[in-house]
Amino acid sequence: MDRRAAFFLGAAVVSFLLVPVSDGYDWVPITVGVVYLVLALGSWLDARGHRRV
Amino acid sequence: MQDLLVIIVIVVALGFDYVNGFHDAANSIATVVSTRVLSPRTAVLWAAFFNFAAFLVFGDKVATTIANDVVMQDALSIGVIFAGLAGAIAWDLITFWFGLPTSSSHALVGGIAGAAVAKAGFGVLISEGLRKIGVFIILSPLIGLAMGLVLTLGIYWVFHRNRNIERLHRGFRHGQLASAAAFSLGHGANDAQKTMGIILALLIASGHAAPDASTPLWVVLAAHTAIALGTLTGGWRIVKTMGSKITRLQPVGGVAAESGAAITLFATSAAGIPVSTTHTITGAIVGVGAARRLSAVRWGVAGRVVWAWILTIPGAFAFSWLAFLVIDLLS
Repeated sequence: MDRRAAFFLGAAVVSFLLVPVSDGYDWVPITVGVVYLVLALGSWLDARGHRRV
Repeated sequence: MQDLLVIIVIVVALGFDYVNGFHDAANSIATVVSTRVLSPRTAVLWAAFFNFAAFLVFGDKVATTIANDVVMQDALSIGVIFAGLAGAIAWDLITFWFGLPTSSSHALVGGIAGAAVAKAGFGVLISEGLRKIGVFIILSPLIGLAMGLVLTLGIYWVFHRNRNIERLHRGFRHGQLASAAAFSLGHGANDAQKTMGIILALLIASGHAAPDASTPLWVVLAAHTAIALGTLTGGWRIVKTMGSKITRLQPVGGVAAESGAAITLFATSAAGIPVSTTHTITGAIVGVGAARRLSAVRWGVAGRVVWAWILTIPGAFAFSWLAFLVIDLLS
């Protein structure tokens, strides 16, 4: 697996783990987690594209 | 006698702020200097000016959080605040001596908590406030990283027709003046306010201010002056670390990293959340490196942030706890 995608996935997991302890501002870790999920997907697609080339 | 003690603790708090400026503010001028947009002397003046000007832009929400949301006000005393500061300073010095990662901001929170617990037990900790600070200790570098990465990608996407990468970097050299100014503003806002919070807590604890008082103007000016003077005298020594140790920064990356970190600091300062400015810019620089490839990042330096998360608050807590016991014994 693309190492960068794995790193972003890890960051997303960390962000989502913070949601239960973020009463009243849980939208922050959720947003950060979603951004990292998108970055992980983008990075994985980018790496796959490069491998094909 | 009590007034003399208050003055001594205020001087120590401002000293902590000065060292913070000395140690941290160079983060914001690393790229401007390394790309020779400004000379080191002018860059340091530039950063110091915006450190100081931060008081005109941001309120005192971070200061109020430090003063009111870490420990219950009735647990605060001159001794607790002095022990908290002493523990945080001792922790910073020892970790500096052994080359261990740390964060002055986290040390301050851990220090005040440790001294207050030594005085009145764990019941004085305000779990909601500490939880919010704890969550953002982890989130701020992650937000900085995402911002640095997204801004880098955004800039390259907007200018993707520009095939001459050297010309693009030349164009962004002067953009760094704005991004460095923004980061210095964010740094001044978040870090000077932590000292403001400590002094406000001290004034409340010693009866010089009402429990619901806002930060007096002289405290605001003194804290911002101290951090700006620290930047002015110490800036250049630490520039190289942030400019080249994490990943090699070019003007585009410098603008993206500083802007990403500045946006994170503006948002957290406006929300009254104390965060580590060094960790935020470290995250943003890692984000710039990761926009190229993961191997462009020297992960050893980035990993130190994680160790600082784990070590700093418990370490400063323990030191301040001990410091309070010593002060209590002596008095």
